[in-house]
This record gives sequence, C-alpha cells and structure tokens, in this order.
Amino acid sequence: MRAAKYVVMVLALCGALPSFAQVPYERLLKSDSEPQNWLMYGGNYGSQRFSGLKEITPQNAKDLRVAWAYQMRGGGVMESSPLIVDGIMYVTEPPSNVTAIDARTGKPLWHYVPQIPRDFVPVGLFPTNRGVAILGDNLYLATIDDHLIALDAKNGLVRWNTQIADKADGYAITQAPLALNGKIVVGVGGGEAGAHGFLSCYDANDGKLLWRYYTVPRSASDPGADTWADGSWSNGGGTTWNTGSYDPELNLVYWGTGNPVPDWNGEGRMGDNLFTCSMIALDADTGKLKWYFQFSPHETHDWDSSEPPILFHATVNGKARKLLALANRNAFYYVLDRETGEFLTGVPFAKQTWAKGLDAKGRPIKMPAEQIEPSAEGTLVYPTLTGAINWTSPCYSPITGLFYVNARDGGAYYVKGERKFEKNNSNGVVGGGGGGMRPGPADETTTSIRALEATTGEKKWEYKMVGDSWTGTLVTAGGLVFSADAAGNFLALNAETGEPLWHLLLGSAVRSNPVSYAVDGKQYVVDSAGNTLFVFSLP
Amino acid sequence: MTANRWLRTAAFMLAISALTAMPANPQANPAAPPHSPHPKATPESVAAGKEVFAGTCAGCHGVDGSGSNGPNIRGVGAQMGPEGVYTRIRGGPIGSGMPAFTALDDATVWKIVDYVMTLGHEDAGVATGDPQKGKAIYESSKCAACHAIGAEGGDLGPDLTHIGVERSIVSLADTLNDPGHNLPLDTGLQERSAYTGYVVYRVVMKNGKAFEGMRVNEDSFTIQLRDAEGRLHSVQKFDVEKVEPEPGKSFMPSYKDKLTPAQINDLVAYLSSLGEA
Repeated sequence: MRAAKYVVMVLALCGALPSFAQVPYERLLKSDSEPQNWLMYGGNYGSQRFSGLKEITPQNAKDLRVAWAYQMRGGGVMESSPLIVDGIMYVTEPPSNVTAIDARTGKPLWHYVPQIPRDFVPVGLFPTNRGVAILGDNLYLATIDDHLIALDAKNGLVRWNTQIADKADGYAITQAPLALNGKIVVGVGGGEAGAHGFLSCYDANDGKLLWRYYTVPRSASDPGADTWADGSWSNGGGTTWNTGSYDPELNLVYWGTGNPVPDWNGEGRMGDNLFTCSMIALDADTGKLKWYFQFSPHETHDWDSSEPPILFHATVNGKARKLLALANRNAFYYVLDRETGEFLTGVPFAKQTWAKGLDAKGRPIKMPAEQIEPSAEGTLVYPTLTGAINWTSPCYSPITGLFYVNARDGGAYYVKGERKFEKNNSNGVVGGGGGGMRPGPADETTTSIRALEATTGEKKWEYKMVGDSWTGTLVTAGGLVFSADAAGNFLALNAETGEPLWHLLLGSAVRSNPVSYAVDGKQYVVDSAGNTLFVFSLP
Repeated sequence: MTANRWLRTAAFMLAISALTAMPANPQANPAAPPHSPHPKATPESVAAGKEVFAGTCAGCHGVDGSGSNGPNIRGVGAQMGPEGVYTRIRGGPIGSGMPAFTALDDATVWKIVDYVMTLGHEDAGVATGDPQKGKAIYESSKCAACHAIGAEGGDLGPDLTHIGVERSIVSLADTLNDPGHNLPLDTGLQERSAYTGYVVYRVVMKNGKAFEGMRVNEDSFTIQLRDAEGRLHSVQKFDVEKVEPEPGKSFMPSYKDKLTPAQINDLVAYLSSLGEA
C-alpha cells in the first residue's frame, strides 16, 4: 500500500499521466463545486460570474479592506480577469504578458513576456489582454499579434506556440481563450481593420487546428452571402473578439460576433450582413453552425454583439428551458432558447432611440433612417458608440435569479465618412470604419448597475453612478454585487436591493471584471485600477 | 477648407514653430525618445495625418478629436506644442488607458501631430474687431480677476493663455454673450471625455445650509465644488439634502448688456490673438 502511494506521488510530481494533471476537464465541468477557485474567464461555462463564496456578506462588507496590491511592471491599464487555481493567481498585463502570483500574499512567482513585433499597431482596439485559460497543466494565452501559446502553469515556460491569424490582415486578439475537453476555442478581433471574423478550435495538447468557422461568407456560394450586396462580404467583419460560453450537455459553443465592415457607412453593403452582430451556436466537435440569431441586421453604429452570453436554466411559460441571456451593446436585453436559438424576450435595459422595439422574432423595428443613420454632420442616437455595454461582463445569480449589468445611458453624434477601406491595413494607416462619432451632450453619459429579472429583463433595482464606468460585475452567494464607478470607487451593493454597502476610491479608472476566490478558507475579491491589481478581504 | 482657414492654419503652424523654440514648459511631458526633427507641416501632411487619426486615434478621441471613451483633445496642440503631442503619442500617458504607439514610424507620427495641431482650430472664423481696443476692454472689464493670461490673473475661470487657438471666434462670442450655455469642456481625465468642471451646482445640506459652486470633481459618493469666491468645498452626498446642477448657469457674468456688439467684437479679436504669438 505504501509503495503504491509512493508510485502515485512520483507520477503526480512528474506530471507523467494526464489523469494527474492539475486541472482536468472534469474540474472545469464542475467549477461551481470549488468556489475557492476561479477556473475560467466567466467563472463557469455559463459565464455567470457568480461566486459561491459566502464569507463576505451585506452585514460585514463595511469592514472590507485592501489585503494586498500588485503593480504591473509596464504601463497601460490592466483589463485582465485573473484565474485563481489552488492558491495561485494568473493575471495578464498589456500587451500580452502573463504573471503568476501567490494569491494569499501577492508575491509574484513568474512572468512570461512574449516577443511582440514592434512594428504592430492594432486598429480600433487597445493592445491589452483580458485573461488566460487553464486545462491540464497548461495555461493558454492568445496574444495581441495572433498567437495561441500554451504555457506550463508551474513556471511559464512555452509548451507550444501556434499562429492563429496574420496580423497583416488586420487581426488582433485581446480575449481569454475558452478551454473545453482537450480543446481550446479562441476568437479574433480587428473589425475596424477589415479582419474577416472566425472562431477556431485547437488541440490542447499540441496546438493543431481542429476546426475553424468563418462568421462572414468567403465566397458567393457560402451561406449568408446573399445578405451582402455586390459581394461586399469580402470586406470582412463579424469578428469574435470577446470570450464566449459553452453548454457541455448540448456540446454547443456560444459566441457573439462583431460589426460588418465598414462600420458607419453601410451604403456599399446593403442587406442584413450575416452573420455579423449575431449569436452563433457551434458544435464543439465539428465547428458546424447549429443555429444563429442576428441581434442587429445591417448594423451601422459599431454596436458589436460580442457581449458575454450568460447561460442559465429557468421556467418560461410553464416550461423548463435552457436559456441564453445577453445584454447587447445596442441597449436591448435578449433571452434566447439556447437549444434552438428561438427568441423569447427582448427589452431595452438602457436608453435607446434607434428602434421602436423588437418584433415577435426579435428583429428590431428601426426608427426612420434619417433619425438614426450616421450622416456627414452627425446624427444624435442613443446609445453611444461604445454602447450600452461593451466588453465588460454582466453576471447572474442562481440564488436571486437576477441578471446584473453595468449599463451605460448616453448618446453620440454618429458621423458617416468616406468608405475608405484598405485590406492589409495592419499599421493603422487608414481606418476602415467609414466614419465615427462625436460625443453627445456634455455630462450626459452615466452608468448604472441594473438588476434585471433574468427571464423577462424587467428592472428590479438600479444603482445610479456618476460618470462613464467601464467595469464588469460580480455577484456572490454572500449576497453582494461588486463593481466600480467611473472615478474608480470599487463598491459593494446588496444583491437583493441595490443598497450601497461599502466603497473605496482606488485612484484610477477600474477597467476590468471583478472576481472572487478563497485561500485557507478566507474570501478575497479582486479588481484592478489603472496599472494596479487590488485584492480585498475582511480583516 | 477655405483659403482663410488655410492661412490661419499656416499662421498657427508658424506660431507653434516659434513656441517650440521657447524654454521647456515645466509641466510638459518627459523628454521624447530620440526622434527625427519635425518636418514642416503642409496641407498634405495634415490630410495624411487625418487619415491615420481616423484609423488609429478616432476610436477613443472621436472623429474630430472631441472625445469618445478617451478625452476631448481639441486645443491640446496649443497647450503642448508638436513635441508634446509627439511625446504623448509615443509614450502613452501613465495611468491613462492610452497605449504607447511605439510601432508607428516617425514620419507617420509627425503627420498625426500635424493634424492634431489643427484640431479645434478649423472653424475658427475671422475676427473683425480691433484687438488693441479689445485688450483695453479686457482690462477695464476686470476679466483678469478670474482669468489668467500667462502668469497674470485669477484662476476661477479657464486660463486664457492659448484661448485663441483653443476656441473659435463664434464660440468666444457665444461665451461672452451667454456664458452658461457655452461651458468649456474638460480635457483632463480620461473618464471625463464630455465632462465640464464649470457646471454650477446648488447644494442644500441636511442641516439646511445651502451654497452654490462650480464642480471641480465628482464621483458617486462625493462632490468637490469651488464657490464664487474661489473657496473649495468637499461634501459627502449622504450629508446633503439636494445636490443639483443648474443648467445654463455660470459664475461668469454675461457681457451682452454690459458691452456693445462692437466692443464684444473687439474683445473677441483680442482673445483670438492669444496663443498665436
């Protein structure tokens, strides 16, 4: 018996058998059963950003204080959503660096810095990174210059490095990949540079491409090509720049797609422009399209539909259903049946002036073109170009049944410009957007944390903040919602009522999604402000 | 662009060349890394810079530099000079979300600089008044009690040292006639792209005391105000009964009935000459 134990121990130490890997797929599958860890970008496969930890409550949140802080080595703003695995935190820094930190003390353990070519400037996005994935003993990093890199989680050494796309075609990546069973799924950004969107899946062991699904047709015979006038599908768009979700039972991957190209001048691409500004559901083994739902047909305001889809179960009209909820940049909150893609509900969750509403199938009933289409002098439309929500994540609590979103209310003057568009536009010399925006009335844009009944979108409460906040939300089993206002006040709200319970000014804008974890039974909450990561706990 | 506007732009470029020969501003950015000298700005370089700006900068600063999720930068050229703008593009201000654009080649960065230098200046219009008379009106109206030009003057209102290249003729006249409807935008913090620090708020405390002040800063929990005497007040929102903006109000008086239209034209002509020589 003792010998057998010894053999098992040695094998485990050597990492010789995959079954002894630190984070096998089974752990990801049951991530909710280990709330002390945060094992993937969205917290679980449903991207719920729900923490099962309960130590911090509405009663004691007033005692929260900084446990430790970590200052990045470089400049820029940290937008990373860290993973915490068995006491070690893995956080990314701009542009595509990874740092491992002792999650109890804040002491850095190793850094990984990929070599990014100095001549690369992504168009229309910041060179930053929002997190890594973990599977087995590896971390998976997608770099700004389009590489998928497997790192040994113990020391940051490169296991393999695969090129996903060519940056010369406008592609750039800021998202965290999603780890499935033996596979790594990752999308691409670069819609303003004319990148042709796709979602790819790689073998987690060796980085070999398993499948790739293009979100915009690549030939006249491809599905959806007839929704692009004059072969304008060749412009590209429909990028997949934010991390999606996964339903292991249905074996479907859900991913939002971005704008058609060029963004603000739709004259040369009449039609619905499939499958841009859509939710796509792909078979995780084959990459084949199971269903799609287009939120914004023929989009002309850069309202990507790349927001994280949240998966949950609920009874709708007396029937238990598997649902997908998405708070869209276009200011509507949608609930879909995620088995079929059927539209169930759609209501505004922020101020919007572009649609009278949605029809029975969820298609927007747009206001007259002269009131909403970008123009040479600028057309005032709500929401702003950055949208009612952008890349930051909403969250969902299975305890309250509420969907919590940091919602932006504000408008912008949308300007139509020349359709100047060039392929191979990686140096940012010419933008492919065909226009842009000027800000709306001064002082008008505000953000509020809104709690919506997840099945209906009905507002239960809201907490109004000052300014234009870019922070996601986290909800905990302890009954708290965490987020931040534009000035950098990290705050805790009562998840049932929205009552503010605690805040601390962190001294810089908070542009990231908070997460929670525990070490030695003590709960921590994490978010970053400016170039510093802050970790909070009770005394 | 009209011939007048080109002339004005060219004059502006010359003025900026003169500015760069002056001693370093102590508040300027840290020294830029070694780089090529600034080639002379031309209509072609401004046009080329505008195209790069559309692809690389407009996403955050708006198509005309008036801001989006990044700050309004119309007029920053006058404050920073071409070297300052170059350094800002290359270095990325620490603590802001702006990345350091290290990968663009020097020639491209200078074209962006040439375009940024024109922002806020394109619609300047032509001053028809007499700047000498305007200067006298500035003094007799005691504008310096609240505004500074160079090291001289007060700080309750915006600094006017570069106002001639930051604000258009039309905008200056509007402000003199109806200051509350034409408040200046703040160009400071990233999260304040369309935020102005000159909005007047009326605060009523729970103990019944009330006062008015211009907003210096505000978040979800506190507000910092400067009253008409320049005194600073910081209040927690849970201590106040009411904290309300007063749209259309400004501590600056309207000069519509204090000066004749001709005098306002003269004053505008004087203000529009500031920052150009």
